Amino acid sequence: MPRVRNLRQRLDDMAAALERRPHLLRLGRLFNETILIEVDQDEFYLTFEKGRVVEIKEGPSKKLPWRFALRAKGDALLEFWQPLPKPGFHDIFGLVKYGNGSIDGDILTLVKNLRYFKEFMALGRKEGFS
Amino acid sequence: MKSSIEPIVGRYVNVTVGNARQRIYFEEVGQGRPVVCLHTAGADTRQWRSVLNDEAFTRSHRFIAFDMPWHGKSLPPEGFETEEYLLSTETYMETVLAFCRAAGLEKPLLAGCSMGGRIALQLAALHPESFSGFIAIEASDFQPAWYDIDWFHRPDAHGGEMGAALVSANIAPQAPDAERWTTLWMFMQSGPGVFRGDLSFYTSDDSLVGRLGSIDTRRTPVHIMCGEYDMTCAPEDAQRTAAAIKGSTLAIMKDLGHFPMSENPAAFRVYFKEALERVTRVPVRLMDA
Repeated sequence: MPRVRNLRQRLDDMAAALERRPHLLRLGRLFNETILIEVDQDEFYLTFEKGRVVEIKEGPSKKLPWRFALRAKGDALLEFWQPLPKPGFHDIFGLVKYGNGSIDGDILTLVKNLRYFKEFMALGRKEGFS
Repeated sequence: MKSSIEPIVGRYVNVTVGNARQRIYFEEVGQGRPVVCLHTAGADTRQWRSVLNDEAFTRSHRFIAFDMPWHGKSLPPEGFETEEYLLSTETYMETVLAFCRAAGLEKPLLAGCSMGGRIALQLAALHPESFSGFIAIEASDFQPAWYDIDWFHRPDAHGGEMGAALVSANIAPQAPDAERWTTLWMFMQSGPGVFRGDLSFYTSDDSLVGRLGSIDTRRTPVHIMCGEYDMTCAPEDAQRTAAAIKGSTLAIMKDLGHFPMSENPAAFRVYFKEALERVTRVPVRLMDA
């Protein structure tokens, strides 16, 4: 399985894009968590404070705690980030439903912050990387 | 911006369903063949706003869309404050039938989306004599939940905001932003526990599965519609359901999701025009045969 190129750079760009979205900083003002994004075999631990990404640590790690994890196949995540993704690739729950990803951990924390997290993930779409 | 008054008129009708008095809000517009429109779970009649404002349809059809009790401008019944709202197939069917009687509608077409499409198919199986045809949108026999319905009613979080964030998964990426967010607003506004109570029926009652074969499309045509981006009632669910109803027709809709009439009216109207034509293909005189 080929790894997604420049994934760390894309996550950094998404974190920077948050700063230009005042409504997301407002929606995420109570979001203070570390979450795991795992793409193929690559692990990224994103720490959020008051809706901002303050740190991204790369794995693998068996020590870093996380609140919830989004794991996805790299090619599926690239389709998710297309401007008009195909059916089933247009939402993180679509990735899960059709076997291209999984979500685990404290799901309720995700659901309570679902709009914020979905819009954060969609920032990879708007930044226009391929 | 030029101001305008829309032709849609809103009124209330009082009915009794079971032991409960219900004050039901409905909107009405157009002339011609009556079409009763049912909204999805956790939403209200505003989902139909674009169809009801579309002269291409209202020239030849009279649309009547009502808010289910607990939804939109229909109040919950007296005593709701101690009641756990859980919709059932039986109550839902009784409500639709009671509304049609109270509104003086004789054999209307029934067009419902999601849980409204599910109940349209139940009525096609159990009460076909009261209708002239069925348009079942994002409708299927049954599929279990891919989410936990209890997420949407808890004291430490806003069920409406969580519900809206979840159902956004079912809106196609082609939906214009304005229509997408208007669609989601209805879920954000939904009363506490109402979306959960709708979903409890939608995700647990599989009684329609064994009834599909009894639907007689020679008397009451059935047209099923499904958006290609719908993950709750996916195209394969609609295809399976249509295959079990002899003589039914099916449209898989491009660039649309689970709320097609609301999320992208411009894309939906082509398919809805086809639907109205499909369910009127049987001459009226055959419907009483």
